[in-house]
Amino acid sequence: MDSTKILLLILGMAVVTYIPRAIPAVLVDKMKFSAKTEKFLKLIPYTAMSALIFPGVFTTDAEKPIIGIIGGLVAGFLAWRKCPVMICVLAAIAADFLVYCFI
Amino acid sequence: MKENNRKTQYISGMRAGIPVILGFIPVGIAYAIMARQAGFTILQTCAMSLTVFAGASQMMAVGMYVQGASIITMILATFILNLRHLIMSVCVVNRMRKDTTRIKLLAAFGVTDESFAIFTTEKEGKCSAAYFLGLIMVTYTSWNAGTLIGAIASDFLPVIITASLGIALYAMFIGILVPNLTKNWRLGLLVVLTAVCNSILTQFIQSSWALIVSTLLCAFIGVFFVDLEPDKKEEPTDGQH
Repeated sequence: MDSTKILLLILGMAVVTYIPRAIPAVLVDKMKFSAKTEKFLKLIPYTAMSALIFPGVFTTDAEKPIIGIIGGLVAGFLAWRKCPVMICVLAAIAADFLVYCFI
Repeated sequence: MKENNRKTQYISGMRAGIPVILGFIPVGIAYAIMARQAGFTILQTCAMSLTVFAGASQMMAVGMYVQGASIITMILATFILNLRHLIMSVCVVNRMRKDTTRIKLLAAFGVTDESFAIFTTEKEGKCSAAYFLGLIMVTYTSWNAGTLIGAIASDFLPVIITASLGIALYAMFIGILVPNLTKNWRLGLLVVLTAVCNSILTQFIQSSWALIVSTLLCAFIGVFFVDLEPDKKEEPTDGQH
């Protein structure tokens, strides 16, 4: 009973996650975008990333907003100094590790 | 020659995916631990990661399962949470116009917040379907490796380590985003606007909807005041093309 339920759940989820991902793959060849729309599409990565970071980063640790703030600032500073993404990630993890050691 | 080129692009895509590993393995572990505690078997836990490949909705579904939600509710919630992938997928496949629909359909399976962010901010010349496939090869593998580790050995990582790894994906987004803003203050302004917009909206509507609304609304606003090619001229001036 329970395993049928879980199987159905997994199948259903697989279908509804794949559909939104797949629709553009089928339709994109049939569509021509105007210059304005192309620009709109090119801006989406930046607005989407901003929305993925804020306000979520403040709740990296739901009880301690300082964790997200410190990690985010470290990553932001290094990225601003043109460090590779991997360095930003490692440094942010290390910084948060240190913060956890002291609080 | 062409074959060789594709291989190089596949490998550079894989390389671009390396920062995601640090984020996906711990999140995969966290998901698997939740799933196992909810009563999923190892097989069911891994099957979900293999077929769904969407971290946030997998965690949400498992959380709802524990609370006794109906299958329909969980599937509907997953659908809503992942509608953002529709937008992201448009941006991704729009950069693969030369490739066949079959390749695009394969690539579409790997569209996540992370692969989208890396791929769509990569330089035009460098990105291709081969690059994207290399990238998602790494993200998919690390997501499933994390799931497997978590499903088998629930708690061997000390809490302090897993907690510190929580920042990884945010740091990655920041690491990708910030360098694009230093040379384009208008784009920076747009990013701040989106951050404020999304932070306000999440107070009033579900965060998955807030993300979609603020992404689309702010990109639309940006069309009117952001200049996307300021690198070509050192000092961005309006209306020169």
